[in-house]
Amino acid sequence: MTGKTIDKMMSLKPVSRRRFVAGASALSLGAGLGMAPFVRRASANTEVKVLNWQGYGTDEAWALEAFKAATGLDVVHEYYNSESEMITKLQTNPGAYDVIVTNSAWNARASDLGVIQPIDTAQIGHFADLNPSFRDSPLLGTGGNVFGVAWVWGITAIAYSTEVYAEAPNSIEVLWDAKNAKRVSVRDDAIEMVNFAAIATGQDMNHPADLGKVKEKLLALKPNVALLWSSEDEWNKQFQAKAFDVSIYWSGSALRSKTNFQLPVGFVVPDEGAVGWFDGLAIGKDAPNVEGAHKFINYMIDPTYYVDWATKVGAPASANSKAMAALPDSDPSKAFYSDEAAIKRLQFMAPLSDEERQAYSDLWTEVKTEFAQ
Amino acid sequence: MTPTTRTRWAILGLTGPAYLWLAGTIFLPLTAMLVLSFLDKSPLVPQPASFTLANYQAYFSKSFYWPLTRWSIELGLWVTLFCFLIGYPAAFALAKRVKGRWREAIFLLIVLPFWSNALVRVFSWTMVLRSNGIVDVAVQSVFPGAPTIDLLFSYPAVIIGLVHSYLPYMILTCYIALQAIDDSLIEAGRSLGANRFTTFYRVILPLSLPGIVSGAALIFVPVIGSFMEPRILGGTKGATLGMNIEEQFTVTANWPLGAALSFILLAIVLVIFGILYPVLRRQGGGA
Amino acid sequence: MRRLLDGGIRFYLILVLVFLYLPILVMALLAFNKSPLYGLPFEFDLVWFDALANNKRLLTAGWNSVWIALANTLIATSLGTMAAVAFGRYSFRGKTLLQALLFPPIAIPWLVIGTAMLVFFFWSGIGRGLHSILLGHVALSLPYVIFVVGARLNDYPKALEEAAATLGATPWQVFRRVSVPILAPGVVAASLFAFAVSFDQFVISYFLAPPGVTTLPVEIYTSIRKGFTPEINAISTIIIAVSMGLMLIVARFYRFGGERSGNE
Repeated sequence: MTGKTIDKMMSLKPVSRRRFVAGASALSLGAGLGMAPFVRRASANTEVKVLNWQGYGTDEAWALEAFKAATGLDVVHEYYNSESEMITKLQTNPGAYDVIVTNSAWNARASDLGVIQPIDTAQIGHFADLNPSFRDSPLLGTGGNVFGVAWVWGITAIAYSTEVYAEAPNSIEVLWDAKNAKRVSVRDDAIEMVNFAAIATGQDMNHPADLGKVKEKLLALKPNVALLWSSEDEWNKQFQAKAFDVSIYWSGSALRSKTNFQLPVGFVVPDEGAVGWFDGLAIGKDAPNVEGAHKFINYMIDPTYYVDWATKVGAPASANSKAMAALPDSDPSKAFYSDEAAIKRLQFMAPLSDEERQAYSDLWTEVKTEFAQ
Repeated sequence: MTPTTRTRWAILGLTGPAYLWLAGTIFLPLTAMLVLSFLDKSPLVPQPASFTLANYQAYFSKSFYWPLTRWSIELGLWVTLFCFLIGYPAAFALAKRVKGRWREAIFLLIVLPFWSNALVRVFSWTMVLRSNGIVDVAVQSVFPGAPTIDLLFSYPAVIIGLVHSYLPYMILTCYIALQAIDDSLIEAGRSLGANRFTTFYRVILPLSLPGIVSGAALIFVPVIGSFMEPRILGGTKGATLGMNIEEQFTVTANWPLGAALSFILLAIVLVIFGILYPVLRRQGGGA
Repeated sequence: MRRLLDGGIRFYLILVLVFLYLPILVMALLAFNKSPLYGLPFEFDLVWFDALANNKRLLTAGWNSVWIALANTLIATSLGTMAAVAFGRYSFRGKTLLQALLFPPIAIPWLVIGTAMLVFFFWSGIGRGLHSILLGHVALSLPYVIFVVGARLNDYPKALEEAAATLGATPWQVFRRVSVPILAPGVVAASLFAFAVSFDQFVISYFLAPPGVTTLPVEIYTSIRKGFTPEINAISTIIIAVSMGLMLIVARFYRFGGERSGNE
């Protein structure tokens, strides 16, 4: 083991904790032996490190090539599978990430914990073009500081098989319709399920006053639910195999299922309303390449990039009004995301307290336990 | 044996490296988790945490934990039982009836399916178990009108998927125990007038018990914490404690509760094996 | 009668193998199927192998996994076998405790262990990287190795070793001629499982891999959000086919099944 590798390993140590290190790293020396060739050489100024969901816009190969051609920067990815995991990764790897995709409901938590830093919007050319309702949202900044640049927004609503439904089901009650026994799929996600049951019972989706009604509504889903999906991949495979006809699903994913996989998917915002959400791009505290991070964020809200993403792959709506205007009129998402009446029916996801999360999770587990009986 | 200084060093030298490794990478982090399970906040939250028993109380006060626990244990028992019923005869056949090169080949072939990704295997099972899946289509094309296979999203589907995932452990641990039994012992039993059943029950089964126990431990313990197979193959029928533990880390960010639930799971495992241990010791004779 | 019985036994073994290989066969078939979503009817196409050949990320991930699994197998099998020998050969105070300590690593869900490791490695300065992935994999494999080898050694024939020594064999000869043949089947089985544990380990690798470093399971699990293509089936099929070839060669030349020489 070379001294250099040891240095490298020790440099991963946070500046503030101590002692114990000797014994533990002696162990890791043994393990590290012979692994030196695998250790990645960091090259801060030619790289932008991005933390995001996999396959969510920032990691399309053609886009990264275009970005590299324009700026000379390579983009390296790391992924997360849940928002709370994103927070953990930021806390346990300080200074490891440049750009982080943060949901509107989580951005404030990240800034409160001090794991992301204020963004210099002057360095982001397209910032002025962003739709003000997202750009200036208090969920993405506090005290005059911007902690997240509004990136995309989308809808969680109802996807259905166009082979089964000649016309879009306009009511959220389609999920509870007795005709749909064993033909419904919902996501195994406590927050989303509470959101939907709250909408169906006419309550505030984020903080429903009557959780008893929510629970009752969810329990009533039992005869209809065939399966609980947990990933877009699973959704596509089961939909293709006709395991269900109607489902709660994400707008961007529904467009992808249609464009990428030619699945007969329709997507509708029911009359009662649906869930809206938006994502921001944040910069990590002590990011190794702050300048590159700003460049990458600007590229991500660039209309040219967005049009390619939306038409080649299928994307949620851009927060950049000019990007939406630049979409060809033939693109299905253009009409869809500019349906003002539908957008008015949305309730947007707001930050939840830990107590609320726990209550929703317990409620959903109780419902699932009943499902399994 | 009275441990002389020399044996003491031998024991230390043999067990030391493995347990030092385990201590540094698992026991220390888990001890931290154990401490965490008595706190009211995750260590990564800026507010100071204080000591509480609430996380353990939650297990007893929330109505859904008991059914989840019962189902997880039942699932573990079913899977272990089926692995034993299918695996033990296979191990016996391999150890006592297959000779020569084939034995090594089959030995290796039994583990090989394990060298693929569990998630890919589970999705392959969904193709096998669903109506209009690969097997169904094949059967229908040969025997039109045969009853369709439609097991997906049911409890049996979860059992099939899990038995498949864990069967090799039972086969190989039983094999290596059975194979160590000297054939002359079996012959001796036979020549003393014992019938096949008695020989099996009085000689072979007790001598192969260590293999069965090892296999059962390697199956039962991970199965009761499983969540991937139940979720994908079970539809709504595969609720387990493992899923809820996962949720405490991904949805609620309530690590202390997730940690407490894990240690309850561990305690259940230790209690079950603690009860069985004296029985096995007596039966197994050795050890 | 005996022949009939043997025939039945062979048939049963074949049935068990068919059960074990059914999903593997399906996995391989779908690698040659055109549909990206495992759709039927089956349409033969090599498109996923083509795509795989150009997917540098997936191939690198595959190689990382193989190397980590090999290193893990070597370390875990050696350390685990030593411990199992101690348990089989000696009875001593604290043995039951040490054996009970093997339960936590398999009983506590990997997600919890992974989170604990992530925080602990961060706190202790070990950090992330392939070295910490290997640390974690070996720790998780050790209980499997000790249990599997232990299935062989619970009735450790000390007498045999002692007899050999009394008859004038050197310690090395005792080890080589007596201990190794006893250990062989257990050690081989344990190493196969150790490889499998590491090769399919997702959570630990996922938490401990630094940005840009990836393993096969990490690629698979993180890509399910968007959807993993049958490229995964293609690479898994190649791995299984190559391993099967290597294993059959090994089986052809080495005796590790524990058959006593001169029995046939």
